[in-house]
Amino acid sequence: MRLVYPWLCDLVRVPGDPDSIAAEMGLRGFEVAGVEHGRLPVIDFEITANRPDCLSHVGLAREAATIWGLPLHMPELAPASDDSRAASREPRAAVLEVDLQDADGCPRYAAQAFEVTIGSSPAWLRDRLEAAGLRPINNIVDVTNYVMLEIGQPMHAFDLDRLAGQRLVIRRARAGEPLRTLDGVERTLDAETVVIADAERPCAIGGVMGGLDSEIGASTTRIALESAYFKPTAIRRTSRRLALKTEASARFERGGDIEAPPAGIRRAAALFAQIAAGRPIGDAIDVYPAPRPPLEVRLRASRIERVLGASIGAADVRRILTALGFIVADAADAWLVKVPSYRVDVMREDDLVEEVGRHYGFGRLPMTFPVLDAPQAPPDPRVARDRTVRQVLTAAGFSESMTFAFIERQAALPFCDAGVEPAAIANPLSEKFAVLRPSLMPGLIDSCAHNRRRGRKDVRLFEIGSRFTPSGEGRAIALAWCGASNEPHWSAAARPVDFFDVKGAAELLCGAFGLVATECVTAERPYLLPGRTARLRAGADWLGELGQLLPALAESRGFPADEPIYVAEIDADRFVAAGATDALRAATLPRFPSIVRDVSIVVDEALPAAAVRGTIRSAAPPTLASVVEFDRYQGKGVPDGRVSLSLRLTFRAPDRTLTDDEAQSATEHIVEALGREHDAERR
Amino acid sequence: MPDPSSQIDALRAQFDRDLAGAAGEPAVRAVRDRYLARKGGLLTALLKNLASAPPEARPLLGRLANDLKGYITTRLAERLAEVAVSRRPAGAVDVTLPGRAPSIGHRHPLTLVREAVETIFARMGFLVIEGPELEDDYHNFEALNMPADHPARDMQDTLYLAAPVRSAAGSPATLLRTHTSGMQIRYLETHQPPVRLIAPGRVYRRDDLDLSHTPMFTQVEGLVVGERVTLADLKGTLFAFLHELFGQERGVRFRPSFFPYTEPSAEVDITCSACGGPGNPATATCGLCKRTGWLEILGSGMVHPAVFEAVGYDPERYTGFAFGMGIERAAILKWGVEDIRLFYENDLRFLEQFPL
Ligand SMILES: [Zn+2]
Repeated sequence: MRLVYPWLCDLVRVPGDPDSIAAEMGLRGFEVAGVEHGRLPVIDFEITANRPDCLSHVGLAREAATIWGLPLHMPELAPASDDSRAASREPRAAVLEVDLQDADGCPRYAAQAFEVTIGSSPAWLRDRLEAAGLRPINNIVDVTNYVMLEIGQPMHAFDLDRLAGQRLVIRRARAGEPLRTLDGVERTLDAETVVIADAERPCAIGGVMGGLDSEIGASTTRIALESAYFKPTAIRRTSRRLALKTEASARFERGGDIEAPPAGIRRAAALFAQIAAGRPIGDAIDVYPAPRPPLEVRLRASRIERVLGASIGAADVRRILTALGFIVADAADAWLVKVPSYRVDVMREDDLVEEVGRHYGFGRLPMTFPVLDAPQAPPDPRVARDRTVRQVLTAAGFSESMTFAFIERQAALPFCDAGVEPAAIANPLSEKFAVLRPSLMPGLIDSCAHNRRRGRKDVRLFEIGSRFTPSGEGRAIALAWCGASNEPHWSAAARPVDFFDVKGAAELLCGAFGLVATECVTAERPYLLPGRTARLRAGADWLGELGQLLPALAESRGFPADEPIYVAEIDADRFVAAGATDALRAATLPRFPSIVRDVSIVVDEALPAAAVRGTIRSAAPPTLASVVEFDRYQGKGVPDGRVSLSLRLTFRAPDRTLTDDEAQSATEHIVEALGREHDAERR
Repeated sequence: MPDPSSQIDALRAQFDRDLAGAAGEPAVRAVRDRYLARKGGLLTALLKNLASAPPEARPLLGRLANDLKGYITTRLAERLAEVAVSRRPAGAVDVTLPGRAPSIGHRHPLTLVREAVETIFARMGFLVIEGPELEDDYHNFEALNMPADHPARDMQDTLYLAAPVRSAAGSPATLLRTHTSGMQIRYLETHQPPVRLIAPGRVYRRDDLDLSHTPMFTQVEGLVVGERVTLADLKGTLFAFLHELFGQERGVRFRPSFFPYTEPSAEVDITCSACGGPGNPATATCGLCKRTGWLEILGSGMVHPAVFEAVGYDPERYTGFAFGMGIERAAILKWGVEDIRLFYENDLRFLEQFPL
């Protein structure tokens, strides 16, 4: 709302320049978008949705009058005609007839016919309209706009001689009825739209925009001036459906002043007289079939103190509310407050408390701290879990990333289960944000590509976030790793990242949540390279997948196909469960020494390490404490298709020192079993 | 007998040549012995010879000879110190080569702010809750005093799901939450006052990507409900929080505003980080705060009685306050980040600027 400073000064003699006035009003709930120091200075306020009354100079002037304790000078109105309501029921000279059929959509309709002389407005009027942001058109339209900006009542002028039957009928449109609006657009109306029609067809969309056919122009000599109140939800629906927002609709949809329509006519009449643009003919019409009594709200001093935390004197309360237009009466241990019709936001006691607090000044409120009644419960377990994840993964060299939860459908598809569509957004901003991500990997891949394009080859990223399917949302942790596995250093060449780097990171993470006995199982995934794809599990629980991203997929996201990206994604919700059953007991340290035996065997190269380990475990006595693969070799001295494995076996007994013989015979037994089960030869 | 003073000059020149030719420590020690040995040292011999000079020349010659002795002694000491340094024990390393740093990653700057916020509020006795990002209309809007067709729904352009998605939280989700208030409603539905919590998380609005908007961002909201909670409590809590997050020297102010779910509502500003706040000469031309000296940081207010009624609390018995802050905005104001999109590009050059 652009408040024209001299216009404000006509209404209330504010004690300061535009900047100081703006600063003070900014502290009463009217955020200042800017102050312009032109010939007519303007303060541009952002008016919140609850204050349609302040989309007018009078509304803002009333606030200013309250702030500085000054009188508000209301604009001059033309005298009311004698008993207008009775006149409307039985029109004497029917210059204009109004037939209000839709009192639900339009609870009050006032109108008046005028004889007019179309011309341009005087400079002062044009200047004020322009300063307020509206284009001057002609004296009649300018006055309607002026009244709207001044008292907040939108008005519309029809060319009376272009209204069939000189009638205005307020009704719902018939479905499919056409109307060409003032902006030149041919619109098709539906049965929910409130229209102002003449005897034959719609002439305006009520409260939104007039029609082109009844527009006033140079040849107009008589007008029908409308000043009405429309139901906010009806205007809101119509404006939204037609995608048509106007100065009028913005005011009506937030809530007009039901007492203002006759005042609008009288103010316009005064202005027409002042600028010699026209004079009323016939009777003033005001159709208001179900008058609304003013709302009365009880306000207790105790409630003010309870909500604000400050005690405000009774005199202050009365002064503030009265200045704002409320009528305050004393009752037993409370005030009875009549709410003015323009304050559509005030409906209950706390709304009045806010008015009192606002003009008392939030800056004057004391600063206290809420009483703590009981110790607080621990945070959601996911908070601690996420902190642990970050601790482990940053220590492993991964930086935390954040990516959008919505992605392109094409990018999502490879990550969806077969036959399942990703959850789609009904009104996406663009195709790039069309569906909810089924996995965090696409976002991380794009982030790797972003870094790669900027010359950063070695990238380790992780994200903790939600992923979605049509059957719900869950939290996941994803890793992506490309480039070198180690930091560049003069002492050694960089080694490219491989499967075992990302597997190690995933195991480290699981281990942090007590899942130490995880295993990888060969798998296939449409987004991972066959042969370098695994599912990770702990016991019978599947935790996630890992492997090398399909090079074609990497390439489609702008990442070089010949540089591998390794990724992993783990179901974070599994970790909360693991943490919840944490029952750690510190183990007693071994008291007796262990014996280490190294064994080298040659086996088929396709034999999984897990199978070798399994055989060793089942053939070994309980004294086998650990098995570690410490070398794997193919080449000279090893037949084609075979591989040499070196294993370190550690034996230990909890209750005595093992003998060399015991370790030796256990080792022999193990080698024998490996030979039997896997055709392993000892080297 | 040669002229004693030219003898002294010649000896100095000879010493310089000898010392320059001495490579290691033993060679330097040998030079020392040759010149300074009590028996047969060249300088010792020269001093003895001076005794035979004419008496009138002796003072001058004595001074020249002593100067030379001082020069030789100093140069020898310097040279010995130098050769001692270049002595390398077996297995010595060049300590000036770069070290081998273990890789370490960085937490995201939004995480840093979020954890700072959580820590401050945890100390004030606030519970931290989390909840679903997909919501139903009731928990995102209706229970918050925003029925269908409420004009305030325009303030938050919403992203809707094409088809409802099952939700562990209850009824099927139809939209992406526009704030984390839905979690608070769920909490109120299942708990009794007193309530004191914060709800951080990602939220969604239908905003185009630009310098200051992203369609997804991070919010932290707070809620306190009890029998004696006031607007003054809200003011005290938020001032303490903001001073801790942004520094005690920052100015904070509290001014009326409007939100459908609070009454009264307030916005909170902090003094501008670019110009230093109102009253500074730089404010007159400051673009960041639009020449006001203040930056909006928080929205807040007293919980609207209609919200209490929606969750079955008696608004006569309980009062409460609520607040919400964008984590991105806090990070931008804290660190002077110029483009909000940087938070979602994950450029390591950006991420690595922030503390570990
Ligand atoms: Zn500034």
